[in-house]
Amino acid sequence: MTAASFVLVGGGQVAAVATRTLRRRGYDGRIVVVGEEHHRPYQRPPLSKEYLAAGDDSGLELLPEEWTEANDVEVRLGVRALKVSAADGAVLLDDGSSLAADAVLLGTGARARRLPGIEGAGVFHLRSRDEADELRDALEPGARVVMVGGGFIGGEVASTAVGRGAHVTVLEAGPVPLAMAIGPRLGAACARLQQDAGVDVRVHTAVQGVNRDGGRLVVATSGGDVEADVVVVGVGAVPNVELAVDSGLDVDGGVLVDERCRTSQDRVFAAGDVAHHLHPGLGRRVRVEHFDNASRQAAVAARSMLGEDTVYDEPHWFWSDQFGHNLQHIGHAHSDDRMVVRGDLADPTWTAFFLAGDRVTAAFAVDAGEDIAVARELISSGLAVPDEVLADRETDLFEALEELA
Amino acid sequence: MTDWHAVARLRDLEARKRTAVTVDDTTIALFWIKGKVYALADTCIHEQRQLSKGAILFGKVICPGHQWKFDPETGEAEGQDRCTTTYPVQVDEDGTVSVSLERNEVAR
Repeated sequence: MTAASFVLVGGGQVAAVATRTLRRRGYDGRIVVVGEEHHRPYQRPPLSKEYLAAGDDSGLELLPEEWTEANDVEVRLGVRALKVSAADGAVLLDDGSSLAADAVLLGTGARARRLPGIEGAGVFHLRSRDEADELRDALEPGARVVMVGGGFIGGEVASTAVGRGAHVTVLEAGPVPLAMAIGPRLGAACARLQQDAGVDVRVHTAVQGVNRDGGRLVVATSGGDVEADVVVVGVGAVPNVELAVDSGLDVDGGVLVDERCRTSQDRVFAAGDVAHHLHPGLGRRVRVEHFDNASRQAAVAARSMLGEDTVYDEPHWFWSDQFGHNLQHIGHAHSDDRMVVRGDLADPTWTAFFLAGDRVTAAFAVDAGEDIAVARELISSGLAVPDEVLADRETDLFEALEELA
Repeated sequence: MTDWHAVARLRDLEARKRTAVTVDDTTIALFWIKGKVYALADTCIHEQRQLSKGAILFGKVICPGHQWKFDPETGEAEGQDRCTTTYPVQVDEDGTVSVSLERNEVAR
């Protein structure tokens, strides 16, 4: 009997967490990580923050060479996985070779969405380490930066650009930045963080194209032309499902996986941005592009690969660091949910809880991460805390929660 | 010989549950959790947030920055490979809380 062999496709957060989980849980078979980029696996959150600001790569690497050597993990870089064989599970690579596999984990992630006509010199997208390096060079003091898209990435890039001395204009197609993610009232409160830092936030402004006039760019918008030295497009991401499609897996808005992160083929798993996951807590499929989701799903997928009975059912959580503030969101709100604000949206820190009936479904906080910890427990447990307790900053939510539990 | 530094009054810590104190340029987060005082390095090992501004939930300390969850006894971060520093604590009969900068050795 030969030792087992696991292939992890995609050299990012999913592969890194799965690798560490597998070894921590005693799996001693072969592990091969296949990464398309020439960099060893690295974490992406700093790419719009400290790494973009100053190129600080400390802590960026997820699987340092000394660790993978000590733990007998093979890392194949600069090679693309094309297909998982339905017959024997082997992974076919674009260098013509193939890797035998007893189980495969797809963590192929997502790529930045492109806007037709918004491309060419001076136009940047931000997803990879190389793209962060290119963008950093362009964010010079005094540069006029136009950020297309007022989402969380838009806010972080705007923040970092301001920190590097650039003048930043954010173009948001909707009536309020972040309205889709957190609703118009909270979106407006977050837009104020940008405006207070000197960012020109233009709403109801759809981008139509980019023209060039000598060295400068002219962004044509529904609100007229905007001159720029640098244009950054941050309008969401598209899951990298090509390998899954070519392998005959079920794909619909991402690679379909069950609660255990298993795809439509028994020995193929998927996790992170690419996975459209059946979430038991929500009772439906969701695909999210969060660091924490990728980490937790990867751990569950790794345990599923080992035959353990485990599901991913925790509330989705993400954070954003921008303009000196720490923004955090947990859970999934429905548009009908009530909102209870702890503090005041005009204050420097506040938390908004979303509730369906007396159950918390989601929460968003500015510089109040401790409330998000409480919200996580409330969402998971279904325990009910009265609105007046949630809203009253003088109450101790930890105590209220521990009394209920 | 352990060098103890008196840093807080137990009564105050019982009321506030968490506080930050500084000893020789080292900032230490003190927590009152289920009848016991714990001392951890205040700066989160992850992204330089202050643990003393975090949450205490079900006996764990949660960093407000990115929700890393620490065991106050061992300093271990749940689901992470990393560990934060914990310090020895002593509470006198008169309610004086003292810490030592000699780090607790943690078995990993």
